[in-house]
Amino acid sequence: MEIPFAYGVREILKEDVPVKFLSAVFSVSVLALLSSGCTTVVIDEYRRSTGELALGDSVVILGRRHSSDYETEPDLIDCVGNTLHNPKAGVNVIPEAQFVDALYPWFEPRTAPMHVKSLGKLMDIPDVRDRMAQYGVKYIVWIDGSTETTSSAGSIGCSIGTAGAGCFGFGTWDKESDYEASVWDFRDQELSGKISADAQGTSYMPAIVVPIPLIARVQNNACKGMAAQLQEFLLPPQSASR
Amino acid sequence: MNRLLNGIGAIRHLALAATVTLLTACAHTVSVDGEFPAPVGDPHPLSVGVYLSEDFQQFTYSENRDDRDEWNINTGRAQKNLFETVLGSMFQETINLAQYPSNLPQGLDLVIVPEVRELQFTMPRETRVNIFEVWIKYDMHAYNQQGDSVAEWVITAYGKTPTAFLKSQEAALAQAINVALRDAGATLYTGFERVPELQAFIANKQRALTMKQTGDNE
Repeated sequence: MEIPFAYGVREILKEDVPVKFLSAVFSVSVLALLSSGCTTVVIDEYRRSTGELALGDSVVILGRRHSSDYETEPDLIDCVGNTLHNPKAGVNVIPEAQFVDALYPWFEPRTAPMHVKSLGKLMDIPDVRDRMAQYGVKYIVWIDGSTETTSSAGSIGCSIGTAGAGCFGFGTWDKESDYEASVWDFRDQELSGKISADAQGTSYMPAIVVPIPLIARVQNNACKGMAAQLQEFLLPPQSASR
Repeated sequence: MNRLLNGIGAIRHLALAATVTLLTACAHTVSVDGEFPAPVGDPHPLSVGVYLSEDFQQFTYSENRDDRDEWNINTGRAQKNLFETVLGSMFQETINLAQYPSNLPQGLDLVIVPEVRELQFTMPRETRVNIFEVWIKYDMHAYNQQGDSVAEWVITAYGKTPTAFLKSQEAALAQAINVALRDAGATLYTGFERVPELQAFIANKQRALTMKQTGDNE
């Protein structure tokens, strides 16, 4: 019974030329939204030991938030955690908020250990030690950095008149991500290695009646790159390829 | 003619909406309502009464300066939750007091009374950093059963949140305040034993408990 209704809508659109034009513009916008600007990602790795993640072990991914002029974005930490979390491949990631709440106040920006050696002092507290054991934490990954808009150019003007509304112009902006992940082996209390991700991308927004954003997903690409590298890093060599 | 009347009506509605928006644009109200986790660690061997005054529980910071919009920020409920949760886990026994100094229960080692001394905040357009920042300062008082002051110390807390992308200024500020309150809880918990008078007080209490245990064993 739904088909006649669909035909009805199509008939109305055929007769209404401005609506058809707007529909076409809307379709172009949707297509533009689906496409995106270019991003380059460079991943560097410094490894001190091979991955030893075993069955039942967990990984915690935490953002550094002690700097006064930037903050490692919680959505970046969530993105890396969600991308990395793959119990079938042997990677079990504890969500950041859950872990930080469960160990309050020892992983707050003011109290969080800044060096691997500080973990020993934290483990002197029996309740903290027990809770870490309950979670089966093997690795703590600290991600420090941010994504910033480095430059922008162009302008877009929009106007509303009796004949309708529209925007004309062109805008472009560059974004840069700079993150470093320090991997701590919690059980051996040593630095296992570091991974850095530098991503750059330019977004464009031409506006011909409707603004058409061509967005470079810089932060997202840095996240995906880091998560892929972390998986290789944390798993033992024979299982990393799974 | 009908179209003209409809047009005039629409313009009237638009003008009214714009006037209401302009009138309310300059006043912001934020009500912070956070829940906080209980701290993990060994409780101090003390029996403590906690008195959170009405002013503290309903604290509202109001600011109406020429160079800023009007702001009314209510942190009372959130800071009540915070102090009750953190102090409730910090000691062997914690009693929330409805009044102070009258009708004190017997056997309390300390009564803790917090007060808000100061709250400050900055917006991204003021600092040109894409971050909302909040500072809160608390005056902490600790009294003994007789009402004499045992210790006074200050807790400073800082919270920030990234820029309010797709979020209202009020929501971003509330988020920054919640971060600052978490920080206040962390400072309260980890800094309590570092206050020299309290350090000595806890040491005395522990010594007394040890002596009592030794006496009981003998």
